[in-house]
Amino acid sequence: MWQWFFRLGSPKWFYELSGRWLPWLVVAMTVLLTIGIVWALLFVPADYQQGDTIRIMYVHVPVASISLACFPLMAVAGVITLVWKMKLADMVAKCAAPIGAWFTAVALATGAIWGQPIWGTWWAWDARLTSMLIQFFLLIGVIALRSAIESPDAAARACALLSVVGAINVPIIKYSVEWWNTLHQPASSFSMAEDSPFGPEIWVPLVIMIFAVYLFFVISLILSTRTEILVRERRSQWVVDLVAADKTQGA
Amino acid sequence: MKPHRRKKLTIIAFIATGLSVAIGLSLYALSNSIDLFFTPTQVAAGEVMNGQRIRVGGMVKEGSVVRSQDSLHVEFMATDYSHDLLIRYDGILPDLFREGQGVVAEGMMANGSFEASRVLAKHDENYMSVEVKAALDAAERDRALPAAETEGAADGS
Repeated sequence: MWQWFFRLGSPKWFYELSGRWLPWLVVAMTVLLTIGIVWALLFVPADYQQGDTIRIMYVHVPVASISLACFPLMAVAGVITLVWKMKLADMVAKCAAPIGAWFTAVALATGAIWGQPIWGTWWAWDARLTSMLIQFFLLIGVIALRSAIESPDAAARACALLSVVGAINVPIIKYSVEWWNTLHQPASSFSMAEDSPFGPEIWVPLVIMIFAVYLFFVISLILSTRTEILVRERRSQWVVDLVAADKTQGA
Repeated sequence: MKPHRRKKLTIIAFIATGLSVAIGLSLYALSNSIDLFFTPTQVAAGEVMNGQRIRVGGMVKEGSVVRSQDSLHVEFMATDYSHDLLIRYDGILPDLFREGQGVVAEGMMANGSFEASRVLAKHDENYMSVEVKAALDAAERDRALPAAETEGAADGS
């Protein structure tokens, strides 16, 4: 029963599979991103209150929601590292941290740009914004922790534990707007009806953008993990063969 | 699963659960300071002192906005639909400020009203196009109209 699980943890297997998948993922992302951006910027109707400022949502919401997926991913990878000592899980966790930090930073930045004209301020110390800032610092902390510990195994264990602990912040971010009163509005509820708030003409392009940005995250993570695999497995036979084959092809 | 792995997994689950509970309880205890603003009801209940710098949040009451003719001074009622609070403000209001819209005002209580030094607009989670908004308003008028007519007929008889 556990066989597939351990096969999944083989860096060689991941390298080969991801290599086959990458082109398709890139094509899907390009198509979705193009449709989503053109739709959001040109064809979504202006909001009755916010006017064209609403278009910031089509970047802010996808980036913010995917930044929330990063810590749970790192926590799962962390548990696998701690319990099963799977090398691939630690490589994925290592590569996810900087990407997640960038997503969090972009979510904070686009939020500030949106907040200035609508709320009248770049920043407020409300629960949503503050917990998001804490997530940014936690991710910076994970990156710093890894580079601070010399032994790779000890670094992996420390980062795994910090990721599991840091993931507790994710539900706090998610529900901050419901548990406390904040300047940030609560999550919108999708409505199927054409003539209601947050109807399909608003959310369909948003969903497309969420998928597109998700693919962007996955592709970045795969590319980064592949590099990490080659660096860490450089002494194993399959990587040596791969590089040799690449050299003869190039020559 | 091998016993030593099961043991490790249990320890991790234990740490994560324990920390979640600890953080949850501290956040619950701190919820008053985590809240961004006081509601008019809390102010009416005497939870804030005169001269204490606080934020107050609520909806701008319909028909309560009074603008000065020769200055930026503006007065309006913030309401949470159970209590109202008079807010005075000298300054530029955000574009989204309007009646029926949420606001967060920063300042202090003085003689039963709130002297704001900054007013922020709070927007809700409803997004819609101008056309949809117009259609919704029209539908609401249509619903209100027959009701008013029957009321008028009842008064006439």
